[in-house]
Amino acid sequence: MFLACEVVASICLTAVPPATGRPATLPVSVQAPRLAQSGTSGSSNAPQSGPVSGYMDFHFSKPTDGPGVIDFHRFVLLFSHRFSDRLRFVGELELEHAVVEGLEPGGELELEQAYVDFLIRPEINFRAGMILAPVGIINERHEPPVFHGVERPFVDTVIIPTTWFDAGAGVHGSLGRGFRYRLYAMAPLDATELRAEEGLRGAAQHGSEAQVRNVGWTGRLEYVGVRGLQTGVSFWRGNTGFNTPNFDTSVGLFELDARFSRGRFEARGQHAHVFIGGAGELNDAVGRTTGVNPNIADQLRGSYVEAAYRVLPARFPHDAAVFVRYEDFDTQFRMPAGFVKLPQFDRDAWVVGATYWVDPDVAIKFDYSHVRSKSTVVPAPRSINVGLGWWF
Amino acid sequence: MRSASLGLAGALLMAASPGGHQDRPPARVVHVVAERFSFTPSEITIDEGSRVELRITSEDTTHGFRLIGPGDIDVEIPRRRRGEARVVIEIGQPGEYIFECSKLCGAGHGFMRGTLRVRAKAAAP
Repeated sequence: MFLACEVVASICLTAVPPATGRPATLPVSVQAPRLAQSGTSGSSNAPQSGPVSGYMDFHFSKPTDGPGVIDFHRFVLLFSHRFSDRLRFVGELELEHAVVEGLEPGGELELEQAYVDFLIRPEINFRAGMILAPVGIINERHEPPVFHGVERPFVDTVIIPTTWFDAGAGVHGSLGRGFRYRLYAMAPLDATELRAEEGLRGAAQHGSEAQVRNVGWTGRLEYVGVRGLQTGVSFWRGNTGFNTPNFDTSVGLFELDARFSRGRFEARGQHAHVFIGGAGELNDAVGRTTGVNPNIADQLRGSYVEAAYRVLPARFPHDAAVFVRYEDFDTQFRMPAGFVKLPQFDRDAWVVGATYWVDPDVAIKFDYSHVRSKSTVVPAPRSINVGLGWWF
Repeated sequence: MRSASLGLAGALLMAASPGGHQDRPPARVVHVVAERFSFTPSEITIDEGSRVELRITSEDTTHGFRLIGPGDIDVEIPRRRRGEARVVIEIGQPGEYIFECSKLCGAGHGFMRGTLRVRAKAAAP
């Protein structure tokens, strides 16, 4: 067991002299490692922090109908710099699937975050740069040790396209009593990159010479005022037709989520609903241009619920949990008139498994994922997955 | 080894502390939970001149607790199941002070902020 309360300091601080006869000193004492001294405590078990942080995600997956695959899925570095108490920078650079080669399919190198925060007041602060869409549980909270399952939930893949990031600017702050918000204007999605199977997944422009004939608006209101409970609602709304100038298309998304923990029990749930305006015209136009009808839906919908139980008593230095998650997701929930819904895209999934934290920042994960679809022809995947994820 | 060496350092710092502030127990203890990416509670109200101890634990990774302004307090909150950070504050000047996570803790690190309100004592009749 580690005790952090070993440095005892007492500091008498001089403040700006008050206007009235109040004391001019602010006595403060601290019982914890001072961050300026972290890494010098002499304990071999104390975390040693360097100038950057980050996370890694390493997987082995064995589908029942194919060979096993080993993948160094994510290598992510985070940087931060505080220019002053009111001005700071945060950056997140991600390498996916280990290798990036020109003109070859495979890995991706992504600048997922690079923004400057102008911290004005608790109620309103300004942010600009490459930012995360504040939608759902996972998009802003995706470090591998904080979610169960080797891969992110399906709903957070094909309904909410995590990691969803783009160039933009906006405001964020606290409304008091545990409520906080963000409201951003971001580069819009590209309608011609929507897909029947994976929805919005490829449609973000990622701040790379992004077209901004239209603007996407996104926001989130969340409540974090009670220990163990976090809830939020979020939205995205924007025209997406900068590559289809002869007609308008749009994407609207509404999402709500909650996380709860008490004692050893944890639960979370999320629902997301996507509305695509002009999907029929888009299908016609892309079909005429490419010869392939993309069969984009009017509406996409997905939900999941997850329960987990921490099985080791608190006196153990390690931690372990078992979990089960049920997901229901359909990337062709409603089709435009004249287009046929394909049953293989109406899916649900059971994911059961375990997470073992050898350290609070290092998680070994195991799960069995069983996806089912309404199709009697196209088989849905089942797989056994093992992963190692860590934060430093 | 760690306890002994740091205990000595702590004793020296305590000995150097003015006014013997360590002797007086805090009038109130506030338990704060740090978790990606929030403090709960994120708003803490104390009375001007009252001595309050913050006991801060983490539900996940290492966080930092930095109180902007008074003394530039900046301590490390140990990871889940690794103990707690304790900060005793006694602020004689009413106002609002911002506290924030000072240890980069993940993608939403920038949202991890809170407000410490120091309430003026009611004027004596």
